[in-house]
Amino acid sequence: MSWDVIFFFVLAAGTLVGGIATVAAENPVHSAVGLLVSFINIAGIFVMLGSEFLAVLQIIVYTGAVLVLILFVVMLIDPENLPAFYVAQPLQRYVSLLLGLVLLLEIGAAIITRTAMEAIGPHSPAWIESAGGNIQAIGQVLFSEYALALEIASLVLGVGVIGAVVLGVPERLGRMAGLEKATISLGHSRGLNPQLPAGHKFETPMDIPAERYDVPEGPRRVIMTKSADEYKHPGETAQGTRR
Amino acid sequence: MELTTNHFLFLSAALFIVGMMGVLTRRNILVVLMCVEMMVAAVAITFVAFSNETQTVNGQVFVLFALAIAAAESAVGLAIVVALSRRGKAPDVNEMQALRD
Repeated sequence: MSWDVIFFFVLAAGTLVGGIATVAAENPVHSAVGLLVSFINIAGIFVMLGSEFLAVLQIIVYTGAVLVLILFVVMLIDPENLPAFYVAQPLQRYVSLLLGLVLLLEIGAAIITRTAMEAIGPHSPAWIESAGGNIQAIGQVLFSEYALALEIASLVLGVGVIGAVVLGVPERLGRMAGLEKATISLGHSRGLNPQLPAGHKFETPMDIPAERYDVPEGPRRVIMTKSADEYKHPGETAQGTRR
Repeated sequence: MELTTNHFLFLSAALFIVGMMGVLTRRNILVVLMCVEMMVAAVAITFVAFSNETQTVNGQVFVLFALAIAAAESAVGLAIVVALSRRGKAPDVNEMQALRD
């Protein structure tokens, strides 16, 4: 056995153990640590396959940014709110195990019976050497063939960041900025005004007369889509489903 | 014994299936998001293995794009989790049905 085979099996074992620890750990923080182990071993696999740039990127982006973000969110969430472990039906577990085995068999058959591709690509080790290394080779391909795709990827990242900020802004900040003028509520049709009759059904929200849904002292209008009697939720009274 | 591309493909398949079972069985949305990241990384191994076999750099460029998309996806997903927890909802995939009723 040569050394690269031994290195491969060590890295593969680390990757799979980390992955299984992620799935099986009860505490989300332990899951995150398992994922960390898995990602670092994947970076080692990338080095074995000759793409050092992706290995560094794997460490920086996944373990440095994404995992830290996940850990922050784990700390933000009330631990009493976390769902119980594996309370889902045992059927779900057995079916997933069966599906996983079937998929593994299928992929294994496909891998074993495939015919290996020849090394026909233009980027031979000699070409990468002449380009100056792995990073330079990726840069040459990325900024010539894939320049448009790179721009679109940056657009997707920008939209993702804006979406995360919009989702994460607390509601009172939005009210302070005057951004929320009205809201469509799935609550009851009386709004915050108890003088209005209960159980009245409107065809569409547009049919509601203005004086019915205007909340005089509220910061914004509430457009109701359901009657009060349809909307029952434990812990909520018929009134005051909206702030 | 010699190392071939098939070794890396088997590792990728195993890691993908472990992540898929996590997505199917776990109820905590944070763990589900972590398992999705794991599946993306497993597919990245396949890309790099084939890139190594055929001696083209394009597979590694694809992994770069997948990395960017996965980062944006996890940012939006975690923002949704934070917005849910601010409304007092549990991060439980079985109880997320606000869009259904």
